[in-house]
Amino acid sequence: MTAAATQQQSLDAVSVGIMWDRLVAISDEIVTTLVRTSFSTIVSESYDLTVALMDRDGQLMAQGTYSVPVFMGTAPATLQHMLDRFPAHSLRPGDVVITNDPWLGTGHTFDINVMRPVFQGGRLIAYVMSITHLPDIGGLGFGAAAREIYHEGLRLPVCKLFEAGQRNDFIVELMRNNVRAADQVIGDLLANVTATKAGEDMLGAFLAEYGLADFTALSGEIRGRSEAATRQRIARMADGSYLNEIQIEGVDGPLTLACRIDITGDAMTVDFAGTAPAVRRGINVPFCYTRAMVLYSMKCLTVPELPNNGGSVVPITVTAPTGCLLHAQPPSPTGARHMIGHFVSPLVFGALAGAVPDQIQADCGMLDLMTFQGRHRDGHDVSTIYFASGGFGALAGRDGAETTPGPSNMAVVPVEVWETLTSTTIEHKRLLPDSGGAGAARGGLGQEVVIRNDSNNLLTVFCMANRTEFPPLGIMGGSPGRLRQHRVNNETVDPKGHYELQPGDRITMIEAGGGGYGDSSGRSREAIQVDLEEGFITPEGAARDYGIDYGTFEPS
Amino acid sequence: MAYRLGIDIGGTFTDFALFNEADGSVAIHKQLTTPDDPSRAVLQGTAGLLAGHDLDLAAVVEIVHGTTLVTNAVIERKGARTGMLTTRGFRDVLDMAREKRYDVFDLRLVFPDPLVPRRWRGEVDERCHYDGRVEIPLDLAGARATLTGLVEEHGIESLAICLLHGYANPGHEQALREMAAAAYPDLMVSLSSEVSPAWREFERFTTTCINAFTQPMFDQYLGRLEAGLANLGFTGRLFVMSSSGGTLTPGTARRFPVRVIESGPAAGARMSAFHGRVLGRPELLSFDMGGTTAKGALIRGGAAIKVYHQEIARAHGFKAGSGLPVQSPVIDMIEIGAGGGSIAEVDVRGTISVGPHSAGADPGPACYGRGGTAPTLTDANLVLGYLDPGFFLGGAMTLDTAAAERAIGGQIAGPLALTPARAAWGIHEIIDEDVARAFRIHASERGFDYRGSSMVAFGGSGPVHAMGVARKLGIPRVIFPAAAGVMSALGLLASPLIFEVARTRQAFVADLAQADFAATFAALEAEAMAPLTAAGISPDALTVSRQLDMRYHGQGHEIEVNLPAHTTVDALPALFREHYAAVYGAALLDAPLVVTTWKVEASAPPPELATARPPAAGEATAKGTRQAYFPGGYVPTPVYDRYGLGLGSAIDGPALIEERESTVVIGSGERVQVDDFGNLVAELTNNEGTSS
Repeated sequence: MTAAATQQQSLDAVSVGIMWDRLVAISDEIVTTLVRTSFSTIVSESYDLTVALMDRDGQLMAQGTYSVPVFMGTAPATLQHMLDRFPAHSLRPGDVVITNDPWLGTGHTFDINVMRPVFQGGRLIAYVMSITHLPDIGGLGFGAAAREIYHEGLRLPVCKLFEAGQRNDFIVELMRNNVRAADQVIGDLLANVTATKAGEDMLGAFLAEYGLADFTALSGEIRGRSEAATRQRIARMADGSYLNEIQIEGVDGPLTLACRIDITGDAMTVDFAGTAPAVRRGINVPFCYTRAMVLYSMKCLTVPELPNNGGSVVPITVTAPTGCLLHAQPPSPTGARHMIGHFVSPLVFGALAGAVPDQIQADCGMLDLMTFQGRHRDGHDVSTIYFASGGFGALAGRDGAETTPGPSNMAVVPVEVWETLTSTTIEHKRLLPDSGGAGAARGGLGQEVVIRNDSNNLLTVFCMANRTEFPPLGIMGGSPGRLRQHRVNNETVDPKGHYELQPGDRITMIEAGGGGYGDSSGRSREAIQVDLEEGFITPEGAARDYGIDYGTFEPS
Repeated sequence: MAYRLGIDIGGTFTDFALFNEADGSVAIHKQLTTPDDPSRAVLQGTAGLLAGHDLDLAAVVEIVHGTTLVTNAVIERKGARTGMLTTRGFRDVLDMAREKRYDVFDLRLVFPDPLVPRRWRGEVDERCHYDGRVEIPLDLAGARATLTGLVEEHGIESLAICLLHGYANPGHEQALREMAAAAYPDLMVSLSSEVSPAWREFERFTTTCINAFTQPMFDQYLGRLEAGLANLGFTGRLFVMSSSGGTLTPGTARRFPVRVIESGPAAGARMSAFHGRVLGRPELLSFDMGGTTAKGALIRGGAAIKVYHQEIARAHGFKAGSGLPVQSPVIDMIEIGAGGGSIAEVDVRGTISVGPHSAGADPGPACYGRGGTAPTLTDANLVLGYLDPGFFLGGAMTLDTAAAERAIGGQIAGPLALTPARAAWGIHEIIDEDVARAFRIHASERGFDYRGSSMVAFGGSGPVHAMGVARKLGIPRVIFPAAAGVMSALGLLASPLIFEVARTRQAFVADLAQADFAATFAALEAEAMAPLTAAGISPDALTVSRQLDMRYHGQGHEIEVNLPAHTTVDALPALFREHYAAVYGAALLDAPLVVTTWKVEASAPPPELATARPPAAGEATAKGTRQAYFPGGYVPTPVYDRYGLGLGSAIDGPALIEERESTVVIGSGERVQVDDFGNLVAELTNNEGTSS
């Protein structure tokens, strides 16, 4: 269709729908470019990345479908920080601006934010931003060990990696001198640059194809429709103030997270007053990350099917007291901010139980990450992470899936691959009956995994487990899931310690079950019977949790 | 005279293509599928087709058969009561799955239930390591007792034997089979080390369970078919189409029903590749769109890209990740929930979305007049004038345009303040966009540059949408093959016997001796060739190709490297670098190289399928004119009968070219020509993508 005819149809539902889908497709295609050109497995396999397209006013139009939750809505704020340093009128074609500052970007120094202004016919028309988790950034390495941000490696201010197409080799060499696995780090950094260039080309072709001068009107339409859809869903929630407070495990003792959510008509505010102050460990959460976790959780509850953009976040205001765990300030270290930050999700779900009882989820057992370092029996170095998931929290009318992570989402390494890569032996990997919280809907089961060091070498294991003191809570009257526990040679150990396994030693991971939903008296006899036959619950569990005596029932 | 017959069972129709080897003529036939016993339609249709041509089934030397029977059994969970024996400590692998959500925003996502319930899974004492070392010997007596419980208390009819690292050392699995055969001779047994000898236990176990679950049913079905065909006088050879674009003997298909899951779509892609070879176009996009789904495949260097993983029976719409994984050779297919029956609705954004929900065949689109009220893609194409209400399926069915207009007007145009025509155009365009997007991402992930390639379009809805999709992708050429409605049935006749073997054995390239490397491949080659030589093919006639999955040490994912003939172990690093650069750009690491899964494919020579050419004729003359919508509005559009077009005739758009099962839609400024083989070929000059 001719450009003129397109203009004539202007932005009706047909053209908005098609162009919107195309913009999302462009962001997805930039992601594939990023994945294809990156060096590290963090990008190519874990997809710890996002791509964001913003209009010339810095408004988010589209974001890659496969973004991890923690990158929701951060890009426009990061862009604003970049424009504060390099105002839009000063940018030129071929400029590439970067930063990894936790407070300007996405919460820890590992994430590099790479922005390219997009020009067409000499006019600035858009911005493309690509964000990935780098394999290393120097300092103490990935973990919670830092006492202050200075331990957490290189912290780049907003700076130009490319100026009018000319690379600033000083920055590249500075990074090279300060990181481990420098080739991979620089390779990933430049993959981001390549990806934003692909984005620039695609956005230019998009405007030409649709005969548009810029994105302003389309972006406004996309965001307006998204905002309206979000407001419509929020309006269905009962007005009111909703409070929640939970205890979680810090590194040196329990910590309190608190929130207050006010729903008024079609808007809401979320505040974290009452949350404990920041600590001298790398688990503090900069506000950008806290906000992203709120936006992610609210998207799950409002319009999960809506593509990400700047519109759907407008009705949601997030605040937190400066200096608290969820609004940590420099020089608080933030390396493992996910350890605390992931709890924002259950915290706000718990608060909203009264507002949207049919939509919220009971707590998840969450992921257990364990780093293994040693030597394979074939002589090669081993350094890898084992992910083991607890059970998924139950929802109204839906049992939680067994061994399924939330809110983060990393897949387990298959036993056969793990054993081949590490020469350890997984003695068993079993579901734990009765570990899911009882309820009208049952929490997903946790699991028990036993790993034996058969490498003939010393093996060091670094643990960072949560849910070992405070179980995944049930909701709407559902029971909590079972606690997580770690054992070495069958002795219970500190879940946040590190251990040296001699050849033949075993480490056992007992993974938490998900919380249940609704009172257990509401569970159907058929569902209980099936759980019993399948061995997901034991006869003792049935008697204890559901008050049903199956006597000598023996699951086969 | 010798004939070959292709029979493809689809959801609605069973298609027949009868090829006369003497003159290259093809007779086609369609018969309604009989879901309760699909062999009935096969036998009735075969008898009817032959009678119609005054032929005896004895004249048919070969029948190639494609079927969705195995997939349907899994989707509908209508298979055998299947039990499983596995290594102690690992029976929960099927419940734990990948421990990952396929959608992070949808909290109510669902995962498919395992095919074998937990109570029918027994554990046995035994343990092998990744390198095949035995740590715990097999406790056969204990296993026997466990199996007795499964058979006698639970009544299992088929057994999957799935031991950890069974691909590295199949000894324990084989011993268990012998034990089971001695104890229960009628029990069907599937071994993970034979069905899918590659690592990743969840995928291998699930694949083996699917095989066991469908084996008794498929065995009985093939038995009925063979007996029925023999009754009709068939004395030739029967082959079964596989998911990977090759054929299998009935014996092999009985052992590995999991290999025939996607046989229909595979035959279609195989036929696209065949057309590409004939036309000298080795780089193609194969685009097939029917009533409920659209399927795409990339043809690279004249062959469809093949992979060793797929997903079936998705539990959550068409969401990738919500189905059961199958780890067996298959053509790398895009599947989109977009077809003629796809339902359009106003989504939460206030825009139109189409699919994946489908009105199916019953009640079907509103225009079918069978009680359907939801607006579908077929309704939109009717309102746009692309379909002739009086000539649907060659006139076998009349469409109700007023009903289509009502559905679109009431549910889409009204709420969105659009004219019905604009709303219908929106529905049509959104499907073009969805298909184009799927191709873009699929091609981009595989490093396939489609901009210079051609598209082959077929299926009932493919030719209606192909030009729009091609424009969006910037593809210069679209080929509409003759007999597009029975493309899969024809593709069956173009498929050679093929057997693939993929076995995991990890090794560092630096540690791999040439003799060991050669011996490992030689053993796999023998394994891959065995089913073919058993079918009477001379080993000298076989083509054998080899691939290796390789990766850098420390990386979790492999890339597949094609090994040219006579590749030695010394050549592996250079070959790997070349493939890695092609897939991931130029990024190379300084890390040791590892080989993981070794693959061998043996194939017989492809059968001849030189079809007869249509008569040369002069000018194309339209059989009529009707109003059809193109951007800008309705225009009087000439309508042509495809069967009346002779070689070389050319048509300028806008034009509609009708055949029995579909309509080719050509826009203004586009030109299509009948080539020497009877295909319609459209050249899109200066195509750099256009808009809605």
